[in-house]
Amino acid sequence: MAKSNITTLITSVALMISVAACGPSLTISNVDYSQPIESVLSPDADNVVTDQRYAISFSVAPILEEEDVTSADPIRLIRNNNGYYFVTAAGFSNVYVFEVGEGELDLKRIINLTDDSLGQPAFNQRGDHIEVIDLATGDSYRVNEEGRMGG
Amino acid sequence: MTKTFSTLIALILITASYTTVEAQQSDYEIQQEFRAEYHQITEWIDNAVSSEDLDEVSDRIDALEAEYGEHTDIINSAIYPDTYSSRLNDLRSRFSAAQQNVATIEELNERVEELEEELEEFRQQLATMDERAEDLQREIRDSQANERRLSGLVQQYRENLEERDQFVAGFLDDLLRRYETVDSETAAELREAAEQLDESPVDLIKTILGEYVNYANQATDLAAEDYLAMKAQHVYFSEFWDSMGERLTEIFDADAPVQSRQEVDDLLSNWNSAIDNRIWGAINDSFAQNNIDLDNFSSADAFYNALQSYVSSATERSEEQNREEDLEEYRNFSQYWNNTVKANWGETLFTGNILTYEQVSDIDQQLGGWNVAAVPTSNLMLILFIVALAVIIGLVIALVRKGKE
Repeated sequence: MAKSNITTLITSVALMISVAACGPSLTISNVDYSQPIESVLSPDADNVVTDQRYAISFSVAPILEEEDVTSADPIRLIRNNNGYYFVTAAGFSNVYVFEVGEGELDLKRIINLTDDSLGQPAFNQRGDHIEVIDLATGDSYRVNEEGRMGG
Repeated sequence: MTKTFSTLIALILITASYTTVEAQQSDYEIQQEFRAEYHQITEWIDNAVSSEDLDEVSDRIDALEAEYGEHTDIINSAIYPDTYSSRLNDLRSRFSAAQQNVATIEELNERVEELEEELEEFRQQLATMDERAEDLQREIRDSQANERRLSGLVQQYRENLEERDQFVAGFLDDLLRRYETVDSETAAELREAAEQLDESPVDLIKTILGEYVNYANQATDLAAEDYLAMKAQHVYFSEFWDSMGERLTEIFDADAPVQSRQEVDDLLSNWNSAIDNRIWGAINDSFAQNNIDLDNFSSADAFYNALQSYVSSATERSEEQNREEDLEEYRNFSQYWNNTVKANWGETLFTGNILTYEQVSDIDQQLGGWNVAAVPTSNLMLILFIVALAVIIGLVIALVRKGKE
C-alpha cells in the first residue's frame, strides 16, 4: 500500500514537471533599459511627476517624506541599463534607486552622496554606470543599483 | 622660490578645477542648450531683413556645429526622431531660403528708395513750377494796365503750363512703363514695399490733379488754345487712369483701392468741369474777336452744331444775295478756320475730344459749297445774249426793209 502511494506520488510529480515544461517559457537576455538623457520633471499639485516621453508616472511624496522636505522641483529621473530608476533633486542628500514592480517602484537602495544636500544635481547616462554631478559644487559621483562606485 | 611654488600650485589647482568643471556637464543641459540655440537661430533667420543680419546668422550656425558636434549622440537621443544632422540641414536650408528673401527685400528696398527719390524730385520740380505759375498769375493781375508787359507775362504763363503738362505726361509715361506689365508676384512684392512709402505715386497723382483743378479754376487771361491744351491733357490723364488706375491702387493703396480710385475719379471729374466752365466761352470769344458770331454753346456737340449752323446760314445767304459782303464773310471764316482753328489748335481739338476728324472734314466740305455760293455770278453772258439778240433783230429789220424796196 505504502509502495503504491509512493509510486503514485512520483508519477504525479513527474506529470506536473512535464506539464510545466510544456508551458510558455521565453527569456530575452541582454536587454538595455538605459535612458540616454535624464528626465527633468516638475511635480504637480499632488506631487506626481509624469514623463511623457518614457511613459512613466508616479508620486514623489514618499521620497520627499524620506528626505524630510515638503517639495522639490524639478525631480531628476534616469533609468540605467539594468532597468533601475534613479531619482534625486536639488535639496536631496541621496539618490534613490528603485526597481520596477507590478504597478509599483520598490526601493532598492538609498545612496548617500553628501552630508550636505545636493545643490544642482544632474544625471548622465554612462553605460555601465550613472554619473551624478552637482553643477553647483562641481562634485561628481559614479553610481549603479548597488551603490556608489569607486568609494 | 616660495612665490614661484605658490604660483605653480595655483596654476595646477586652476587647471584641475577647470578640467573637473569641463568634465561635469549635464547631458540634459547640453541638449537643452542645443535646442535653445537652434530655436534662437531659426528666429534670427525668420527675422533677418538684411545681409548683415544673415552674415551673423551664418556665423552662429557654424559655431553651433562646432560646439555641439561632439555631442551628436546625446542630441540625437534627445530630439528623436529628429537628428543633429537633420536640424543642421534644416538650419542651412532655412538660411538659404532667407538669403533669397533678404535679396528680394533688399532689391525692393532699393526700388522703394529709388521711387522715393524720384517722387521727391518730381514733387520739388512740380512745386517750383506751381510757384512760378502763382508768381506769374500775381504779376498778370498787377500788370493789367501795361498791355505789352501783360502780353509777355501771359506768354510766360502759357509756357509754364505747357512745360508742366509735358512734365506730368513724362511722369505718367514712366508709371505706365514700370507698372503696366508687372506680374502678380512682383505686384505683391511691390505692395509690401509700398507700405514703406510716405507718399505713393497714387498720392502724387491726386496732388497733381488737385493742382490741375486749381489751375483751371483760377487761371485768368488764358485763350482758347490754352484751355484746349488743358482738355487734351485731361483726356490723356483720364485714359492713363482708365488703363492703370486699378493696378496702381491695388499696389499702392492696397488697403482701400476702391475708395482711392473713387477719389481720383472725382478729381478728374472736377477738373473736367473746371475746364468746361471756361473753354466754351473762350472758344466763342476767340471766334467773335475775328468777327465770327457763333450761336452759344457749352459742349463739344453744341460747338460743332454752332459751326455747322453758321456755315449753313452763311451759304444760304450767299446763294440768295450773292453780295460782295458775303464773299468777304466767307474769306474771313475760311481764313480763321484754316489758319487758326485747324493750324494752331490742330491736334488738341482731336485729342481733347472737341471735334472729330469727320466733323472737321464735314465743315471743310460745307465751306466748299459756301465758296461756290459766295463768288458773285458774272453778267457777261446776259449782255452778250442781249447784244446778239439786238444784232439779230437789227438784221431781220434790215432784211425786211430791203425786201419792200
